[in-house]
Amino acid sequence: MAATATLAASVRSRRPALTAFRKAVTRKPGRIIGLAIIVFFILLAICGPWFYGRLAVDPNSLYAAPSAKHWLGTDFAGSDVLQEVVTGGRYVLATAALSALFTSLFGVTIGLVAGYQRGLTDSALMRLTDFVLTIPGLPLLIILSTVWNFGSPWKMGLVLGVTGWGGVARAVRSQALSLRERGFLEAARGLGLSRRHILLKEMLPNVAPYAAMQLMLSMIAFIGAEVGLFFLGLVPFSSTNWGVMLNQAVFSGGAMETPSALIYLLAPLVCILVLTLGIVLFLDAIDELFNPRLRERV
Amino acid sequence: MIQARGITRTYQTHGSFTGDRTVHALRGVDFTLPDGGAVSFIGESGCGKTTLGKILTGLETFDGGELVVDGVELSKLRPRQREKYFRRIQMIHQDPYSALNPTRTVEATLGDPLRMRAKETGAPVSAWRERAAELLTLVGLEPAAVLPKYPHQLSGGQRQRVVIARALTVDPTVLIADEAVSMIDVSMRLGILSLLRDLRARLGISLVFITHDVATARYVGDGGELHVIYRGEVVERGLTDEVILSPVHPYTQCLLSAVPVMRGLEEPGPDRTAPTAALDERTPTPGCLFQPRCPFAGAQCAETHPVLVPFGADAVGTDAAEANVTGADVTGADVTGADATEESGHVHACFYPESRRVVGVEVGAASA
Amino acid sequence: MSEVEVRDLTVEYQTSVGWLPAVAGASLDLRAGQITGLVGESGSGKSTLALSLLNAVPAPGRIAGGTIEVAGVGDLTRLGGKQLRKARGGAIGYVFQASQNSLNPLKTIGRQLLDLGRSHEVGDLRALIARAKDLANRMGLDGDRVLDSYQHELSGGMRQRVGIVFALVLNAKVLILDEPTTALDMLSQASVLDIVRKVHDENQLSTLIITHDIGAISEIADRLAVMYGGRIVEDGPLLEVLRRPTHPYTKALIGATARITGDVDGARALPGRPPDLTTVARAGCVFRDRCPFAVEVCAQTEPELHSFDSERRRACHVEPSTVLTGTTGTPAAVGEPA
Repeated sequence: MAATATLAASVRSRRPALTAFRKAVTRKPGRIIGLAIIVFFILLAICGPWFYGRLAVDPNSLYAAPSAKHWLGTDFAGSDVLQEVVTGGRYVLATAALSALFTSLFGVTIGLVAGYQRGLTDSALMRLTDFVLTIPGLPLLIILSTVWNFGSPWKMGLVLGVTGWGGVARAVRSQALSLRERGFLEAARGLGLSRRHILLKEMLPNVAPYAAMQLMLSMIAFIGAEVGLFFLGLVPFSSTNWGVMLNQAVFSGGAMETPSALIYLLAPLVCILVLTLGIVLFLDAIDELFNPRLRERV
Repeated sequence: MIQARGITRTYQTHGSFTGDRTVHALRGVDFTLPDGGAVSFIGESGCGKTTLGKILTGLETFDGGELVVDGVELSKLRPRQREKYFRRIQMIHQDPYSALNPTRTVEATLGDPLRMRAKETGAPVSAWRERAAELLTLVGLEPAAVLPKYPHQLSGGQRQRVVIARALTVDPTVLIADEAVSMIDVSMRLGILSLLRDLRARLGISLVFITHDVATARYVGDGGELHVIYRGEVVERGLTDEVILSPVHPYTQCLLSAVPVMRGLEEPGPDRTAPTAALDERTPTPGCLFQPRCPFAGAQCAETHPVLVPFGADAVGTDAAEANVTGADVTGADVTGADATEESGHVHACFYPESRRVVGVEVGAASA
Repeated sequence: MSEVEVRDLTVEYQTSVGWLPAVAGASLDLRAGQITGLVGESGSGKSTLALSLLNAVPAPGRIAGGTIEVAGVGDLTRLGGKQLRKARGGAIGYVFQASQNSLNPLKTIGRQLLDLGRSHEVGDLRALIARAKDLANRMGLDGDRVLDSYQHELSGGMRQRVGIVFALVLNAKVLILDEPTTALDMLSQASVLDIVRKVHDENQLSTLIITHDIGAISEIADRLAVMYGGRIVEDGPLLEVLRRPTHPYTKALIGATARITGDVDGARALPGRPPDLTTVARAGCVFRDRCPFAVEVCAQTEPELHSFDSERRRACHVEPSTVLTGTTGTPAAVGEPA
C-alpha cells in the first residue's frame, strides 16, 4: 500500500513535463480540439494507407456521387475520393514535418549561435541567412524537379527546409540578443560555464516557445507551398497527394465548370483548412508548455 | 586582494544626428581591496559605478590603467588566462528577477556550476547535492524547500539569496554587489546586507559594494572604505563612517542630504543641501565636473580641475600637480609612499573643502 | 474632512482555489490637505487598494464589497462607463507604478497631453496646455521643452514629474502615487519627494503615496497607514506612528529599515517572508507567524482595526504598551523559510 503510494508519487514527479502538457492542453477547449485535429491527421497519415493498400480503381463509376460504397464519391478515373484523401495525407504531412525539422535544426542553431557570439560569427551567419532568405524557393524547386523526382517526402522536405530556415534564424537571433543582456547569462559567463552549456541549457529553453511557434507557423506555410507546387503542376506527379488531387480536379476534372467534380476539389481543400485550424488552435498552448510560470497558473 | 590604478573606460557613440560623442564612463579610478575587506562605491545613476563592477568581473574591458588581482596584472595576460582570475570575482546582480533563468529550477541553477567546479578541483562530482544544500543553508534558505522551485516561486529576497549561493559555487574570493538590494523590499534588505557581512566574517570573502543608497553601505561591515564617484571620477574617499559623518566634497554632501530622514526618530542635519541643477553631461566642464551643479562653487572651480588631496592639507591639488605625480610614476620614482598617505586617510577633490553635517541626527542623540 | 472615504473595501482575485481577498475589509480616509502614506511589503495589497480607488482593479480581480466615497463624485464602486472615466483623471489623479515607463515612446509629451484633454472632452485645449506648462515649470521643468520632448529625451526623475503633471492637469483634487520613487536614485528621489510636497501644498490636494520604503515616506507624509496581508493594521499621524508604533509589524518594519544614523547592529531584518494571496492566514491574525508578541488568541481571532486614541487605529490583540516597550525577542519564524 505504502509502496504503491511512493511509486505513484515518484511516477508523478518523474514526469512533470507530461503533467504540464496535459494541464496546458486541457486549459481551454480550443487547444483540445486543435490537438485532436493534429493527432487525427497524424494517425491518418500513418495508419490510413493500411486500410486501403493499393489504390483501387472502379472504372464502372466515374464521378460517382457519394454513396455507401464511395463515401465521398469517385473521381474522373473512378478512384475513391476518400481513399485518395487518406493516402495523400501521408506525403503532405511527412513533407511538412521533415521541412519543419530541418528548419528548426538550422534556424535555431544558427540564430542562437549568431545571437550569442555576435561579432564576426554573427555577421557571417547573418549574411548566410540573408542569402537563404533571398533564395526564390519556387524557381529552385522547378529547376530541381528536372533533376530529382519529388516522389519521396525526404527530398521535398529537405529542399523546403533548407530554403526556409531564414525567418526562424532571424527571429531566434533577435531573442538571443536580448537574452544575452539578461542577468542570468552574464552570471553564467562570469561563473565560467561552457559555451555549450550556455547555449543549450540557459538559452535554448528560453527561445524554445518562440522557436516552436515559428515552427508551427512555418509548417502551415510549408503545407501551402508543397500543395501549391503540385497544384500548379510545376513538379511532376509521382505520388498521390492533396496537391495532385487539386490539380486534377481543376485541370482534368473541370471542377470549375461541372458540379460533379466538386467534392473531388473540396475534399483536399477542407483537409488543408482543418489541419491549419488544428495547428492554429494548438499554437495557443505553446507558451504555457515552455514557460514554467504560465504552466502553473491553473 | 585587488588593486586598481587609474582605471578608465571611454565609449564612443556614433549618432547620425547628434554627431560623435565621447562618454567617459570611468576617468581613472584607484582603489585597493584587501583580502576580506570591503570597498563601497556610491553615486547617482549613470556615474559609471555599474561599468566598474562589470570591469571587475571581466564582463567589460577597460582601456586605461592597471587591474592587479592577487599580484597579477591582468592586462598583461591573454584573455584565456585572465578568466581564471575573473572567476574568483563574482557578481551579484541588481535585479534578482532577471538574474535567475526562469526556465530552470534552483537545483539546476546551482548544480551545473557545482559539477563544473568539482571537476576542476578534483572533488567527487557526486557530492554536488550536499554542497548545494550546504550553500543554501549558508545563505539562510531551507534546501529541501527551495531546491525544486523555479525562480518565480520565490520572493525577491529569496531570489537574491539564491543568486548569492550561485556566486559562491565557484569559491570566489571577492563578491561584487551592484545595487544588490535596491530592487528588494525595504523590509528584506537588511537580511541580505547582514548575509553579505556574514560572508565577509565567516568565509573571508571581500566585498565591492556598489550602490546609490549610502545608508546601505553602512551595513556591509567594519573597516570599509567609501568612494564617492561622480561622472566616472572619485571625488571623495575615506572610511565609510567618516565620510558619512563629516563629508567634505559638496557632491557627497548633496548625496547624503538626499537620504530620507526618518522623521520622529531623526532630525534633518543642520547643513542639508541639494544640487542647484540637474545633471547635464553635454555641457563641457573643463574645471570641476560638479561645478555647474555645486551650491558652493567658487571662481576657481570653473577653470581648474581639482584632484584628490588629503583633507586638512593646505595645498589643493590641480591637474598640474597630478601631472607631476604621473610624471614621477613614469620615471619610476617612489610613488608608493604618496599612495599610502593618500589611501590611509580621508581625501577629496574640492578647492573649498569644508566639512558639513548633512545627514539626519537621531532625536535621542540630539537631546542627550 | 475627508476627500476620499474607503469603507470595508474588499477586493478579490480569482485563483485556482476560488476567490481570495487581496484587500480585506480595509477602511481608510484621505483627509483634505494631507499626505497619507500607505506602507507595506510586496503582496500586501497596497497597489490593489490604490487601483480600486480608480475602480480599476485588473482582471481576474473584482471589488467584492465596501464603498469608496469621493467628495463631489459619490461612491466610486457604483460608477461605470463615462462617469467613471470622468472621475479618473478628473477627480482623482493617478501616477502609476513605474510611470517613468508609462509614456508613449512614439508621441511627444504635448501630443499625449492633447489626447488626454480630448478624451476628457476638455473644451479649451489651449488652457489645458497652459496649465500643464505652468505645473511643469513649478516642478522645475522647462515646460515648453518638455511638451516638445519624446519620452526617451527625459530622465527618470523628469518622467516621474511629467506623470504628476498628467495626473494634475485636469484639476484633480486627489493625487495617488504608486511607488513614485522606487526606480530612482537618491538625488532624484529627494527632488521628486520635494516636488510632491510642493505641488500638494500649492494645489491643496489630498495625496496618497503607496510605497514599501517607510524611510522615504516619512520625509513628506502627514499620516501613515501600514498594510499587511490585505489588511490595514495600523494608522495615525506619521510622527506618532513612527515614534510609538503600536503594531508589532509597524515596529518591525521601522527596525528593518537601513538608516544612515543609529546602531548598525541594532537593526533587524524582518523574519519570514510576506504572505501572498494563497499563503495568507485564513483565520486569526495575518501577521502572527512572524510576530514576536503572538499569543494564543492571535491564532483564533482576527484582531479588528479599532481606534485606541483620538487619532490612531490598530489591529492587534496585544496591548500597545507591550508592543512599544517589549523587546523584539525571538521571532516566531527565523530565517526565510519558503
